[in-house]
Amino acid sequence: MTLHNITESNRTAPGNPVKLPDISGLLDKLLMRVEKPARYIGGELNSVVKEPGKILTRFGFAFPDTYEIGMSYLGLQILYDILNRMDSVYCERIFAPWTDMEELMRSEGIPLFTLETKTPVNELDILGFTLQYELSFSNVINMLDLAGIPFKSKDRNESHPFIAAGGPCAFNPEPLAEIVDFFMIGDGEEVLPEVCEAHGRWKTSGAGRDAFLEMLAGIKGVYVPKFYALVYNESGAIREIVKTNEKAPDRVEKRIVANLEQAEFPVNFIVPYIQTVHDRAVVEIFRGCTRGCRFCQAGMIYRPVRERSRDKVMDLAKRQLASTGYEELSLLSLSTSDHSEIEPMVEELMAICRDNDVSLSLPSLRLDSFSFKVLQEIQGYKKTGLTFAPEAGTQRLRNVINKSITEQDIYHSVEQAIRLGWTNIKLYFMVGLPTETFEDLDGIVEIAKNITDINYQITGKRGRFNVTVSVSNFVPKAHTPFQWFPQNTPEQLGEKHLYLKDRLKKIKGVSFHYHGTEASHIEAVFARGDRRLGDALIKAWELGCKFDGWHEHMKYEMWLKAFRETGIDPDFYAARERSYDETLPWDLIDSGVSKEFLISENKYAASGIQSRDCRRGCIGCGINFKTSCTAQTTQCREEGTR
Amino acid sequence: MSRYALKFSKEGTMRYISHLDLFRLFKRSFKRSGIRLQHSQGFNPHPKMSFAQPLSLGYTSSCEYLEFETREPYGAEEIMDKLNSVLPEGVSVLSCEELPAAGKSLAALTEYASYEVRFPLDNRFVAPSVESDRTCVDSEPDITVLTERFLARDRIMITKHQKKSGKELEVDIKPMIAEFSGQVDNKIITLTMKLAAGSTSNLSPEAVLDAFCGFAGISRAAESEGEIKRTGLYFRDPSFVDTGKTSR
Repeated sequence: MTLHNITESNRTAPGNPVKLPDISGLLDKLLMRVEKPARYIGGELNSVVKEPGKILTRFGFAFPDTYEIGMSYLGLQILYDILNRMDSVYCERIFAPWTDMEELMRSEGIPLFTLETKTPVNELDILGFTLQYELSFSNVINMLDLAGIPFKSKDRNESHPFIAAGGPCAFNPEPLAEIVDFFMIGDGEEVLPEVCEAHGRWKTSGAGRDAFLEMLAGIKGVYVPKFYALVYNESGAIREIVKTNEKAPDRVEKRIVANLEQAEFPVNFIVPYIQTVHDRAVVEIFRGCTRGCRFCQAGMIYRPVRERSRDKVMDLAKRQLASTGYEELSLLSLSTSDHSEIEPMVEELMAICRDNDVSLSLPSLRLDSFSFKVLQEIQGYKKTGLTFAPEAGTQRLRNVINKSITEQDIYHSVEQAIRLGWTNIKLYFMVGLPTETFEDLDGIVEIAKNITDINYQITGKRGRFNVTVSVSNFVPKAHTPFQWFPQNTPEQLGEKHLYLKDRLKKIKGVSFHYHGTEASHIEAVFARGDRRLGDALIKAWELGCKFDGWHEHMKYEMWLKAFRETGIDPDFYAARERSYDETLPWDLIDSGVSKEFLISENKYAASGIQSRDCRRGCIGCGINFKTSCTAQTTQCREEGTR
Repeated sequence: MSRYALKFSKEGTMRYISHLDLFRLFKRSFKRSGIRLQHSQGFNPHPKMSFAQPLSLGYTSSCEYLEFETREPYGAEEIMDKLNSVLPEGVSVLSCEELPAAGKSLAALTEYASYEVRFPLDNRFVAPSVESDRTCVDSEPDITVLTERFLARDRIMITKHQKKSGKELEVDIKPMIAEFSGQVDNKIITLTMKLAAGSTSNLSPEAVLDAFCGFAGISRAAESEGEIKRTGLYFRDPSFVDTGKTSR
């Protein structure tokens, strides 16, 4: 077998013989009875096989959703690569089995197992969940149950793995505080190896379980919830967060990879056999975003902006294509066009792709003349839809949310697109945004109508042209300027959907999609929840909740029942306006963006004042006090020049 | 531009990957091996590569065929070595052969496929439904007698479920069965069969298996137990595929 990366002798071509414990034999009898059996076989190209006997720390990277979704997540590929470079660590993957497989596993007595060696998860040292969305929390519980691991930290002992978690939802870790032993906040590239090294030292020392958690509390970016107690007011709000262990920090500062250029980035991606959501080579071109949309959690918690140079991106792209054989390459960031060298980089990538029969896909491209030229070339006659995300229907509301796109920008681009032959325009909006009125909804209808009119003016026809309006429901998120705002109730959101539906259906060529209000409601409860929600989560799982992110599985009535039975008022979390001086459950977590900044942005939002993209001058979010920030310039925030 | 056919096996856990998955696997393996495939013209280029006959999910095979065109000529031996160095365990190229530049596709030439079906015999074996004397030997079915009687009928009718119309269709599969025999060893039944395959007439071994088990009164321990292996593909014009030349 050819090895494509010389640094890791244990990276193998797929399918190499693995020590097969009993689970493999049992699996063989089951796999023909489930949908997509290859979800459970492992052995893909570039998956790692190690001899478990020689390992100090066996780490399970758990993605609480299906294989196809988990394998599309870049963070998994990055961290899997980094951990498996360590001799003392073996990182294996675990996904949520689909319901057909789960049923068979339960009836045949097969515990949750790792994909690589089919080891029962309960035999690992650390089981780390990545928390990408709140609606996957019930799958965390279900996976612990399938593994035979007690849900609550206090019920586990030396015979169980440590349960860890990271990812964006770890920025408000509190709903899982009684379940997860420790959280890792921020970029995982450095903190995860440090945690595993500490585990190795702890394991050799033979000390007790708490000793390891105390070691962890000393590592920057690690939050051990049991070292903090929460005291509540009569109103139910948090009065105080009390530290109960001296070794724990007062606040947990997120970890930041200061230099992305030098950070590890895998070229030997695991290549799935079955088609996953994003089944392609991908290079992360930068992390963070400078635009400062006030609803956007990613835009706040991934600060500051850190770029990979064009040379580095080219090198990674070439090597990744060679190692994986992928036929598609994509770039990843929060806003592709914002890379400082985007034009020459894309030109160069197009040339490489052309020479190698690889297609290039460029998500979240801002539509200027350059991108039209590029899109013409990479999409040719097979034009996919063009997507715009104005998020709000009027300039007033776009000022509130700090989304800088204007209607003129959209119409100008749409006009160009129609002249170049595009016939599908997608528009993304949110409803339930702070200060929203029905006039703002009328604005959505107007934009859709104006676009169909532009098409009519240019082509003289109304047929064969589609505008798709997709509406999601605003969910206030922790660590954003909108973290104090109430969410619209499901009834209010439902009313707004109907309002839009009635008006949009009258316009020829416009189709309308919207998200369910129920899922958004549950998401909002957990997004700003506290540790009292842990029991409700477990109760909901007992009532059958799992795969909540899958529309067909969301059992809203069961969720409401779980809240009732555990004494939780969901409106307290989702629909209540918080005051600036209330202690928030996630105040313990320092995202690097200061609370003062979030408050000032919140106030600007209330008065409809935009803040500039901080590439054009620092606006003082505070991240520059934690690490160097390229967006920071000598000029600081001056009122009036925003 | 050169045209080749290769013969490969699909075994072990690779039987759980589908026809489309396998196509992607080969596409990516060619890329990793450095062998440049010819692509279709146009804005959405596809590699010129196709399988002779799709293999159902869950089947193993010792004789799959893939034909493809390359941009430049390669030695058949070179192709085989390069691909084998990047293919996962469970998929191995057994031989490779250059094809004439023009000619019918292997898919169009496919006429028959042979299969070996093995499954454990259920203890609840009931006597055959045919009025007979000695079809059971030591509580095991006399498979030779049963297969002969199965084939001796004028017609072998099965019910086919039509995907498009949703209708149930009665079909006589006898003309599609070229060979059929079986044996029992240690409570394991092995059936070997050669069936019509290809675009004009195609019969699945499972349809034959169900028909036979129903006829002979054999119940399988579990539907999912046992294995089906494709052991041969037969082409109308065998001169195209001389699999002996570069095999190992």
